[in-house]
Amino acid sequence: MKYMILIYDNAQSREQFHSEEGAALMAEVNAIMAEITESGEMIGGEALADPSNTKTIRLQGGVPVVTDGPLAEAKEHFGGYLLVECETPERAAEIARRWPSARFTPLEVRPLMSPDGAEM
Amino acid sequence: MSTDARVEDRLRALAPQVLGALVRRHGQFDACEDAVQEALIAAAAQWPQEGVPDNPRAWLLTVAGRRLTDAWRSDSARRAREDSALAAEPADARVAPGADLELEALDADTSPDEDDTLSLLLHCCHPELSAPSQIALTLRAVGGLTTAEIASAFLVPEATMAQRISRAKARIRATGTVFALGPGHDREERLRTVLHVLYLVFNEGYTASSGQELARTDLTAEAIRLTRAVRGLLPDDGEVEGLLALMLLTDARRAARTAADGSLVPLAEQDRGRWNAQEIAEGVALITDALARAPLGPYQVQAAIAAVHAEAAEASETDWPQIVALYRVLERIAPNPMVTLNHAVAVAMVDGPQAGLALLATLDGALAESHRLVAVRAHLLELAGDEDAARDAYREAARRTTSLPERRHLEGRAAKVV
Repeated sequence: MKYMILIYDNAQSREQFHSEEGAALMAEVNAIMAEITESGEMIGGEALADPSNTKTIRLQGGVPVVTDGPLAEAKEHFGGYLLVECETPERAAEIARRWPSARFTPLEVRPLMSPDGAEM
Repeated sequence: MSTDARVEDRLRALAPQVLGALVRRHGQFDACEDAVQEALIAAAAQWPQEGVPDNPRAWLLTVAGRRLTDAWRSDSARRAREDSALAAEPADARVAPGADLELEALDADTSPDEDDTLSLLLHCCHPELSAPSQIALTLRAVGGLTTAEIASAFLVPEATMAQRISRAKARIRATGTVFALGPGHDREERLRTVLHVLYLVFNEGYTASSGQELARTDLTAEAIRLTRAVRGLLPDDGEVEGLLALMLLTDARRAARTAADGSLVPLAEQDRGRWNAQEIAEGVALITDALARAPLGPYQVQAAIAAVHAEAAEASETDWPQIVALYRVLERIAPNPMVTLNHAVAVAMVDGPQAGLALLATLDGALAESHRLVAVRAHLLELAGDEDAARDAYREAARRTTSLPERRHLEGRAAKVV
């Protein structure tokens, strides 16, 4: 089963990774990436730029309008994702639990929708 | 069939024989596998232009043998460079293995390849490997598919699939497995793993939606081809015959299982005129033969159930009492929650929906989170005339499934409940 691990940030958590102590955190990230690449579970992943770079498209008077800035002022924002294929949901959750940002901000593990289907 | 397609079929059939012979001779599964892949690529480029050689198997063995020698030579040279300061002996002394490969290759052509192909399958389905690794390695080493083809069939990047294959090979190397297994309990168990891997490959192709690339549904053809090959090697094994029958009887429904818009059509609503009569005839003959002479096993029972469905000209003519009896046998020899689920549907058709619901109630612990359990409950509630509960259950099942076509199907069922 394929899972997306959604990684959330807040203003402080992203800075942690770029600070001096950040090197140790990045080493943990690299170690997990190496592990899941070696195991053949890693499918892909990306990090998003700071939310201040966001454009939001929102319906105003029935017309989609583009505005600068994120959708809502939130404590946490979506910061990036990992796409993995794991044998069990427990294994996907285990990867997320060990991701170093889990010490500062939450993550979500969500199964992907599959295009396959069985006769019911 | 075009020349290219003929050459490809030929190569795919020869791949496991050549690899099996090479591994038997030299060990080092991973090095041999790389060498055979290179020989297959060379043949795919040369044969369509220059014609298929008189003895294609010997040609492949010779070319793969040469690649193997080259690989060893460069490894030896590298190692020799690395420790040249310490090495007293000349580097040439290390090139010894494989020096007479070409002669051996010709000799190998006269030896039986049956055991090699089977050994190769047992090797690829090594119990130390995860199921995805077993599948990937089997398709590449035995099926002769390229890494790119396997990756596209399983909808993952080529790099991910390449990693799974090389990890599997490294794992096998680390276990130091003997290539050929003697007769005995372990061999029997390993053979069950091979059949399960082939079943998984089939299923991956069968559940692919019709709008998908050809590569995905080709997995069913590949699984059937490999299972046929195993049956050729083990003609007396009833479970091999049962699995082949199950695949054919299931695949026979493929054209009818999806509508033109890609939506799923349940068994009861399929246009049976679109079922593949040839596959049904072959599947029924195989399962009839297996049941008559071999010890009973789960694939045979599943094939027998598929045969009962296949033999009903209309859904309403289905012999449900016989299906219930077969599920009882299956529950006894291979109990699992999915079997109970299907058993409950059959019981509902014979003894009414309440009897089916009662059987489902025994499953809540095992499959509590499964959308399939909820979908079946919805169906039985609908049959029982409890519309509100049926609608809620269909919607619940639709939310729980991670399959897009199943979700659409279940939403549709919910909307139809009046």
